[in-house]
Amino acid sequence: MDNDDQQFREFEHTGDLGIELNAPTRAELFRRAALALAAILVDRHNIKPAAQRDLTVEADNDTDLMHDLLTALLGLFTIENFIWCDAAATEAGNGLRLIVKGESFDSTRHWLNREVKAVTYHQLSVTESAYGWHARIIFDV
Amino acid sequence: MELIKIHDYLWEIPKHGAMLVPGRIYANAHMIDELRDDPSLEQVANVACLPGIVGYSLAMPDIHWGYGFPIGGVAAMDAELGVISPGGVGYDINCGVRLIRTNLQFEEISPCIGNLADALFEAIPAGVGSQGAIPNLSVEELRRLVTLGANWALQNGYADPEDLEHTEEGGCLPNAEPERVSEVAYKRGSKQLGTLGSGNHFLELSRVDAIYAATAAKSLGLDLGQVTVLIHSGSRGLGHQTCDDYLRMVGGAMAKYEITLSDRQLAAVPISSPEGQAYLGAMAAAANFAWCNRQVMMRLTQRAFLQTLRMSASDLGFSLIYDVCHNIAKFEEHVVDGRRRRVCVHRKGATRAFGPGHPALPGAWRDLGQPVLIPGDMGRYSFVLLGRDTAMRETFGSSCHGAGRVMSRTKAMREARGRDLRAELAQLGVTVLAQSRGGIAEEMPAAYKDVADVVEVMEAAGITQKVARLKPFAVIKG
Repeated sequence: MDNDDQQFREFEHTGDLGIELNAPTRAELFRRAALALAAILVDRHNIKPAAQRDLTVEADNDTDLMHDLLTALLGLFTIENFIWCDAAATEAGNGLRLIVKGESFDSTRHWLNREVKAVTYHQLSVTESAYGWHARIIFDV
Repeated sequence: MELIKIHDYLWEIPKHGAMLVPGRIYANAHMIDELRDDPSLEQVANVACLPGIVGYSLAMPDIHWGYGFPIGGVAAMDAELGVISPGGVGYDINCGVRLIRTNLQFEEISPCIGNLADALFEAIPAGVGSQGAIPNLSVEELRRLVTLGANWALQNGYADPEDLEHTEEGGCLPNAEPERVSEVAYKRGSKQLGTLGSGNHFLELSRVDAIYAATAAKSLGLDLGQVTVLIHSGSRGLGHQTCDDYLRMVGGAMAKYEITLSDRQLAAVPISSPEGQAYLGAMAAAANFAWCNRQVMMRLTQRAFLQTLRMSASDLGFSLIYDVCHNIAKFEEHVVDGRRRRVCVHRKGATRAFGPGHPALPGAWRDLGQPVLIPGDMGRYSFVLLGRDTAMRETFGSSCHGAGRVMSRTKAMREARGRDLRAELAQLGVTVLAQSRGGIAEEMPAAYKDVADVVEVMEAAGITQKVARLKPFAVIKG
């Protein structure tokens, strides 16, 4: 499934949900991954950018960084009940700073697509090539 | 992948490469044809490379592509020399199913199905953006809960003593170590007790529409036309986070033990290592949360029945037949190569299926064999089986756990476009209420194998015996 406005592509995985993303820069790849997770969780169109959260995540490599960033965002949704519709990413040393804008999930206004249990390590990859940056992520749903 | 036919329902992947034991897959000829190019067979072979694995790397007929282990995978590791793999249990630690019987006949309540489904939808929240039926629990209370398991529900008015007797392990693994569970995991679980979750989790009202073993069905309290309840859920965010925490820790420790594996999601450390012991303590805690969660949902369901149908508890006759887990690692004794050995059995999408007489079974069902609960998809049926002696000899006392997906979630969503699946299911006599978009579309009946085929393979291979079939008439999805 192509999600032009969300800039990710779902690929076939029998049990879970896999996505692929491309971006011209590393920071943009992580920003798009953050928005992809929001779109997987909730229909983003009704979310208002009423509040923001500021995350800085560091890791030894980009694959772990992708896992840890998305896991932190998943915590934002499951623990704080916060869902986002916009994101800005900036490089922060080996890590990344991400500011997400959104609001509290409200089941009377927001449509839950599905729950995500975890960001798996299975076939998780973040790579750079001559064409830009690419990520492959499988979520346990 | 080379496959050798052992008999009509069993196929072997010969040992090759780094495999320490052969792989064995329970499937019929049609299923195995479908599987030949599936990544799940590669996963069976990868599991066979884990240090300390004994017997075979097994897969049940509901096998499908997972992450690390295949879904439907069973692997027993030597308790002293083997490894423990958090990915071999999965994110949803102690995901499982419980079956409840009632005194009701379907015809009696058919005029009230809509009201009953609405009441259950209200009583059993999905857990996302909704308050659980239980007020938020403090970390201190959660630590008590994960130590006590279903006993917490008993102490807090959500269980009767006989419920615990009819729950695998009595609803509590005694080796839980609450301090091994992270603060983040506790936060994720704090408002999720008594919630279903989404994905393939459900609460299903069914009627018994076929009996295959009359004496066994009678012993279990099942009769034709009777209303039953199936609850499928797990350890929620507390378990998901626990798995994630330990995948990271175990993955980082593997080099210390000179373990190298083809898939990071298979990360494993020696059972006896500090990391292995820490995971087992945390896993037991998460498993105990899951048993308590299903127990609380059972009591909430009972209350919804009583309020909607305005009847007494004795007239309703709501009682637990059995609760099984299908994502777990447990220490058990099995005969391997002619010798009794203590092993750690990983069941990832596989159900324990102990045969008759096993001391771990509750007294009432001990002579029958363990009740094995196999949910199908929401449009067809589910099955009640009993474990047989062959399971003890061949599969470390294990069976399948469900229908097994054949269609990706992405494809299911595509297939569902423009269709009114709720209306289609209503045509089949099934009322479905779901709290998420994916709750119906991704879980549409066509996304799954026919569970009858899966169960037939287990029966033909002598692993389980069919007792009854349950036909759903109302389904609550997360």
